[in-house]
Amino acid sequence: MSKIFDWRLVFTEIPALLKYLPVTLQLTGVALIIGWVIGLLIAVVKIHNVPILRQLCTLFVSVVRGTPIIVQLYLTYFGIPIALKYYNFYNGTSYNVNGIPSIIFAIVALGLNQSAFDSETIRAAIQSVEKGQVEAAKALGMNGFQIFRRVLFPQAVTVALPSLGNSLISLVKGTSLAFTCSVVEITAQGKILAGNSYRYFEAYCSLAIIYWVMTIFIERLFVYLEKKLSVPETVSTEESCGHTFTPGKTGRALSKKHGQEKGKGKEE
Amino acid sequence: MSVIEIRGLSKKFGKNVVLDNIDLVIHEGDVVAIIGPSGTGKSTLLRSINLLEKPEKGTIKINDQEIDLTTRSAREKLELRKNTEMVFQQFNLFKNRTALENVMEGLMVVKKLKKSEARSIAEKHLQKVGMGDRLSHYPRHLSGGQQQRVAIARALAMDPKLLLMDEPTSALDPELVSEVLITIKKAAQEGNTILLVTHEMNFVRNVANRIIFLENGKIVADGTPKEIFDNPKNQRLKEFLVKIHMLESADYTI
Repeated sequence: MSKIFDWRLVFTEIPALLKYLPVTLQLTGVALIIGWVIGLLIAVVKIHNVPILRQLCTLFVSVVRGTPIIVQLYLTYFGIPIALKYYNFYNGTSYNVNGIPSIIFAIVALGLNQSAFDSETIRAAIQSVEKGQVEAAKALGMNGFQIFRRVLFPQAVTVALPSLGNSLISLVKGTSLAFTCSVVEITAQGKILAGNSYRYFEAYCSLAIIYWVMTIFIERLFVYLEKKLSVPETVSTEESCGHTFTPGKTGRALSKKHGQEKGKGKEE
Repeated sequence: MSVIEIRGLSKKFGKNVVLDNIDLVIHEGDVVAIIGPSGTGKSTLLRSINLLEKPEKGTIKINDQEIDLTTRSAREKLELRKNTEMVFQQFNLFKNRTALENVMEGLMVVKKLKKSEARSIAEKHLQKVGMGDRLSHYPRHLSGGQQQRVAIARALAMDPKLLLMDEPTSALDPELVSEVLITIKKAAQEGNTILLVTHEMNFVRNVANRIIFLENGKIVADGTPKEIFDNPKNQRLKEFLVKIHMLESADYTI
């Protein structure tokens, strides 16, 4: 009798699944960037209270947050071809729907989904920076873009990071639904392999391990980034010269020197 | 000698007239203190001069260039802000930057100086305010007084034609006030042109060479510290001085 549960297969199957890891990573990476960029745009529209655009953004966020990701995947998978047909019909063009690689549909859906969730995080993070610092930057003579780049952005990132990390983790897991857009990534590959061997449970065990390890890695990465970007708790002589910009060699030497002087001061 | 001329500055919040057609001429090197009851537009006057508030009316002539304070031109706004600097009640240092980086920020981003130049200017100014040994401290590692001194260095490093100070000691613990006042006094003695809102009357008496008493959006009295404190002519000014114990009142006995 063959084994009821082939635990060995759980591990020996992993390399075959990992062959499609690049697809999962590609989905995650591109959707992540789309999510951050569009999320930032939505946040800026909401903060500046741009008429019409603001209402549209609110509607978009509400719809995306109010529908399951799998429905959104189907909507893009069937919606984009229909839109293209209309476009061809009215403009006399002949773009071919089949020419679009299926991964694009999945990336669009996942990216838009991500942007809706991240936009709120980003908006809250930007608004958490004290108004006084913006006024100080204005008083120095900075223009709007400089204020954003030099004052708001660096501080908002530190605030937003934990939530963005969580949302990235749910994105990684969301990519497992991309098979609905006929994209073969690791979960799809698991299903295909299991379809041949009828070892479904083993395949899903392998997948669970892979996703879990990825998630642990992302968690660790964000904890590290958070620590690196935040203002240190204590005045440390080595690191105190700033993560926000890296001074040259002279800067390091100087800050070290000051550190030593400070040390001396305490002894006295 | 260059002067700063403010003409016809008016500002309303809703229906409430905060500044009513203010005219003010400040000579180079002047240290002008604005005093007055709360809510009379002292801070608003300062904030209107560098357009942190939008006045309804008014012009300012600075650096031989006249700018309409209602301007919508971003270039003119930046031009005005580059000629003035502000020290805030709540310090408003950039929390994610060290003391040195805070002072270098404007020099590098606005004045486009090279990092090495910005660094040496910033160090010079931080040393002047007595913060030379705290270059790599973040604001959260500094006391209120120290933060305000860094903020003063940040403003002075930009070499402004006019330094605006909005109650620079009001948010400080009493024991930290003097270190900031000493720093301001030093800045005044070095010939900086300063427009200062404060409640530190004894400081004003010693350091300012001109005092403006503002009430209900109007300049009610304007004179040297001697004229204002020792020989107040205006009735409202007298009442104000009595209230803040700068003048003996006839029926005030203990």
